[in-house]
Amino acid sequence: MNFKEALESGKFTVTAEVGPPKGTDITEMLHHIDLLKGKIDAANVTDNQSAVMRINSLSVCKIAMDKGLEPILQMTCRDRNRIGLQSDLLGASILGVHNVLCMTGDHTSAGDHKEAKTVYDIESVQLLNVVNNLNSGKDMMGNELKGPTSFYQGAVVTPEANPVEPQLMKFEKKVNAGANFFQTQAIYDIDKFKGFMDFARKFDVKVLAGFVVLKSAGMANFLNKFVPGITVPQELIDELKEAGKEKALDAGMNICARQIKQLKDEKICDGVHIMAIGMEDKVPEIMERAGLL
Amino acid sequence: MIITKKKDPNNILETVKKYDKFFLIGCSECASLCGTGNEEALQEMTDFLESNGKKVTGQLVPKTGCQTLGTKIELKKDKEACADADAVIVMSCGAGTQSATEIFKDKPVYPSNDSLFLGNMTRFQMFDERCSLCGECVIGKTAGICPLTNCPKGLLVGPCGGMSDGKCEVSPDVPCAWVRIYERQKSLDNLDEMKEVLEPKDWSAGQKPGNLSTRSEKKEEKK
Ligand code: SF4
Ligand code: SF4
Repeated sequence: MNFKEALESGKFTVTAEVGPPKGTDITEMLHHIDLLKGKIDAANVTDNQSAVMRINSLSVCKIAMDKGLEPILQMTCRDRNRIGLQSDLLGASILGVHNVLCMTGDHTSAGDHKEAKTVYDIESVQLLNVVNNLNSGKDMMGNELKGPTSFYQGAVVTPEANPVEPQLMKFEKKVNAGANFFQTQAIYDIDKFKGFMDFARKFDVKVLAGFVVLKSAGMANFLNKFVPGITVPQELIDELKEAGKEKALDAGMNICARQIKQLKDEKICDGVHIMAIGMEDKVPEIMERAGLL
Repeated sequence: MIITKKKDPNNILETVKKYDKFFLIGCSECASLCGTGNEEALQEMTDFLESNGKKVTGQLVPKTGCQTLGTKIELKKDKEACADADAVIVMSCGAGTQSATEIFKDKPVYPSNDSLFLGNMTRFQMFDERCSLCGECVIGKTAGICPLTNCPKGLLVGPCGGMSDGKCEVSPDVPCAWVRIYERQKSLDNLDEMKEVLEPKDWSAGQKPGNLSTRSEKKEEKK
């Protein structure tokens, strides 16, 4: 069962991330792919994440696919204009990469090439529309394609954005633009997330809740302070503190597994997206603790 | 108006090191309001050049430096001072500088300022960019607030995921343009306007170099 079939069948679906490295030595990345394959349903391959220049997403998607891990091509609008984006989408299609996640992309000021010219010729909602067009055999100018694409397209949403209303309006625009699934920014407060799901359930889309594993109380405080749209509740920070330095990561993995289990048992959403950020090797263990393996 | 900032004078000195005698041109419009091309700024430049062994043969603050024909006429009275100079330093914007390039066919022309943006003066000598002259204005659909300019990503369809507590991902001191648009539409009871997904921008409308002539129409009218 592929990613799309899994989600559409109602299976509690799990995605994680593969981050292309900066440079041509991909040994570690290949190891991560091996760890994840057969366990998760698909892996996002990030697109110059945080505007830091690395191997492009599409090449790594192809490698992951060849190794038996289904990829989700992340596409941001930061580095390519509409010609580049459509051309890469056609390229992905002939390589057999059919899942695409349409994003706006972090600004270059966040990355390691701050002097670069940003593109943002179009943005996430417009990119979803472009994917729709390609799927129906037309480019965004209405020109006929010699053979359409067949993408399963998704998007991202930040359920805890503040103020949330403009974010929810954009969510709705993404739904109308054909997003089939959403992966959320990391969530840590299940009750608040339930509130978001009450809204999202009005639409015929699948939602995978985002998780970033907490490694320490310090990391939780950092996320609260510096990462937009993430709020780690105090009781979780206390839990990490109580576990002590040595056991903090273990406690973080427990929190993650416990919340994933709750989402699944209470059928709150359709799956989870685990952003391990350098801890890909922990993903299978978290899944085990959550009872998913 | 066009917002300009003075270049480091030592860099200017380095750029013009081949030459000894200069004619200075300012501008009484934007560059004067920015303090980069008024009499005072020209005097400061004269003092700086002279203290570095250079000579200033003359100077002019034309009414509108980017008005090529007008500036050319104003310069007539400085004919000798201009002829005497090895090079011209223009203390207005990039447009004013290129008017001088056109006027001085046989002399090199150097800018003393960096031209930054089309700006609104919010308080005396404080400027903010609100419009980036895209060629096809969309702010009739975005609460009169330009997302192309006020959002560092120029997003046309709502806030990105980087917005945090109403502030922008790129500059945490600046409000997110889309939160401003949302709040204004809400207060005007116009949120339905925000539901529309704007089409991808037609960038060909702002193709460089822009040019426009309204002359023929006026001539027609006279006839
Ligand atoms: S939409 Fe274009 S013309 Fe209108 S304010 Fe913005 S940049 Fe200027
Ligand atoms: S936070 Fe708002 S203003 Fe800043 S880049 Fe994102 S959408 Fe644009």
